[in-house]
Amino acid sequence: MSEEVRKPRPAPDPASAKYKLNMIAKQAYDDVAEAKKRGELIGWCASNFPVEIPETLGLHVCYPENQAAGIAARGGGERMCSIAEGMGYSNDICAYARISLAYASGAEAEEQPMPLPDYVLCCSNICSCMIKWYENLSRELQIPMIMIDIPFNPDYEVSDAETAYIRNQFLDAIAQLEKITGKKWSWDRYQEVMEISGRTSRAWLAATAMARYVPSPFNGFDLLNHMAVMVTARGKPEAAEAMETLLKEYEENHNKGISTYRGEEQHRIMFEGIACWPWLRVTSRGLRDRGINMVTTIYADAFGFIYEDFDGMCRAYAKVPNAINLEYARDKRIRLCQDNHVEGLLVHTNRSCKLWSGFMNEMSRQIGAACEIPVVSFDGDQADPRNFSEAQYDTRVQGLTEIMQSRKEA
Amino acid sequence: MISDVLAKMQAAAENPQALKERYLAEGRKIVLTAPVYTPAEIIHSMGLVPMGAWGGDTQLNAAKKYYPAFLCAIIQSITELGMRGVYDGVSAILVPSLCDSLKVLGENWKYAVPEIPFIPMTYPQNRKPEYALDFTVAGYRRVIRDLEQITGSSFSEERLKESMALYNEHNALMRQVSAELAAHPEITAAERSAIFKSAWFLCREEHCGLCRELLDELKNSSAGTEKKIPVAVTGILADAPGLLKILDENGLQIVADDVAAESRQYRTDSVIGEDALYSLARKFSARNCCSVLYDPEKKRVEALVKTAKAAGARGVLMILTKFCDPEEFDYPLIRRACTAAGLPFVSIETDRQMENHEQAATIIETFRDMMED
Ligand code: SF4
Ligand code: SF4
Repeated sequence: MSEEVRKPRPAPDPASAKYKLNMIAKQAYDDVAEAKKRGELIGWCASNFPVEIPETLGLHVCYPENQAAGIAARGGGERMCSIAEGMGYSNDICAYARISLAYASGAEAEEQPMPLPDYVLCCSNICSCMIKWYENLSRELQIPMIMIDIPFNPDYEVSDAETAYIRNQFLDAIAQLEKITGKKWSWDRYQEVMEISGRTSRAWLAATAMARYVPSPFNGFDLLNHMAVMVTARGKPEAAEAMETLLKEYEENHNKGISTYRGEEQHRIMFEGIACWPWLRVTSRGLRDRGINMVTTIYADAFGFIYEDFDGMCRAYAKVPNAINLEYARDKRIRLCQDNHVEGLLVHTNRSCKLWSGFMNEMSRQIGAACEIPVVSFDGDQADPRNFSEAQYDTRVQGLTEIMQSRKEA
Repeated sequence: MISDVLAKMQAAAENPQALKERYLAEGRKIVLTAPVYTPAEIIHSMGLVPMGAWGGDTQLNAAKKYYPAFLCAIIQSITELGMRGVYDGVSAILVPSLCDSLKVLGENWKYAVPEIPFIPMTYPQNRKPEYALDFTVAGYRRVIRDLEQITGSSFSEERLKESMALYNEHNALMRQVSAELAAHPEITAAERSAIFKSAWFLCREEHCGLCRELLDELKNSSAGTEKKIPVAVTGILADAPGLLKILDENGLQIVADDVAAESRQYRTDSVIGEDALYSLARKFSARNCCSVLYDPEKKRVEALVKTAKAAGARGVLMILTKFCDPEEFDYPLIRRACTAAGLPFVSIETDRQMENHEQAATIIETFRDMMED
């Protein structure tokens, strides 16, 4: 994932979690590029595709959403989106998809290159848009598409019928991939991957839960950077190790009374939605200047992939954000707000993401009422810089700050 | 003669409200069906009246409380009409999970229009494998359970088979009507639209009857002598009166369509076997060539070109519902395929609230000129 562009700083400590996590993210791209050079087949993989499958099979995959976020954070979002629009893609389409389709068509992206795929792995649990995007990749590049469909669940619990449907597709996907890549599935290896993934997830949950302390031992923007590893590499031992380091650092920070949040933490908010990658600095500064720490996001909860067996894994993938109904999604957030002493909710109305933003108005109203906190939203986009206004962001955040301030004084 | 039948269809298409009142006055219960596919046969078999809810050409006010501006006007206007009380008296709304916006519609509906219960229908996108049928059937069972609870009606496999047979018959009639219309340039685009649109509101038995009459009359009347340019239309909806008028003014005749609210509905029949619910699930899994159904080979694109050519269309018009992801992703591929096949192609973006008639008229004039060259 991307790093905020900052002035040169002293070289990071290789023993630090930040260094380790950044290296894992970078290494992932290098490994895939090298595999491609060796003539191995490589895949493009949707962020919420069960990473256990490629990891167990030992496949080399990279993540278009991650690439698109990287490109956008480094200033290439508008250029790539415009190229896609030139190809006929409406600017209403998710900017990640636009960037990715432009890249797949041959447009260069120095910001974050990655090799073109020999197959694509799609999972619909975060949106149906993903299906359309990957269909187009598959069709345009003439490569196979493996699709695991995890439907949006209108109920609170995952039904047995849904679990069975997902399980069968997992087994199908494994068989298809064995055929395409010639690699073999091993249940022993799967067991290992599952355990490592559980270890990484537990460390992540524990680290993000350190925000329960006031002040929080970390700046919530850290989570946006580290979550890439959670999404893509949680089955790798080095990821588990890095997340455990992160937890240790946060514990030490707490014990020493310090934080990665620079300045005095005067207000604590939850940030709702994907980051505005092209405006990461502006959005982060807008909070920091007002003494606001974004202590939690739904990502804190989302990557808790802890399960006991294959069916447990199927259910876990049916519970990712965007696959769950309003009530379940709301309750998860209410818990995060309460556990982390959140005083305000800042909602990113993300032009790219219809599913995420489509019922956010109602859901955030309910969260605000349940937690008795103010809710403020701003318009933006995760990757297309044209859909964000700095002035509007500033006004909204200022408004939120004033309400939080006056409540404190009352 | 023809005008009699058409007048009935037009009346139904233009005033579903009156039909709703009529059904309610007759003591019948109504269940709304949202786009794009729903198991309407189940609703019908339980003695309830399914009525399509595809939104309407209306200003969005109340719905703004729920939706950001960048969601399609279909789901926004369905919510708007619900909040305004237009659907008052209906028993429930059935919403399938076929696109992101439809998922959102269901979630918002629960709070925006709490007096009309929301019934979800969750379909598998990986619909071809056998195991997907189990999942579809589980979805149907859930729909049945909700309908029984809400309406007090009961379900029987036998009655479902009868309803499926009736829906098959209606499919066949609609396909025949569409084919027959191609030979009748005197039927306007607006009239053609009314034939399809009325099918969403009239009960199936009644619409079958009207289709039969219409077919008889069309077959027995000589085709008009008007020279029109045959075109194929694709998209989600093609019922905007302003746009249809422009097509008619420019002498374009729709000879085939790949419109979700029109012919896509009638392509696939049920093969009625031993188990009614599984047979209905097979109908869904057999559906193809549609932007809201998983289609990695994009069969829809080739199928559209083939349909257009087979019907003798001289060009393809894509009516793009603004903010409709599923169609927007297919658009570049359709444009390319049509151009490669030598079919002039244009697209018009529509929004249910208002239309830029001037721009649409200019596009259609250009389209006509392209086809006349
Ligand atoms: S941003 Fe939203 S629409 Fe885009 S890929 Fe992610 S979940 Fe899907
Ligand atoms: S298919 Fe398109 S027009 Fe229909 S509800 Fe979904 S986004 Fe809206």
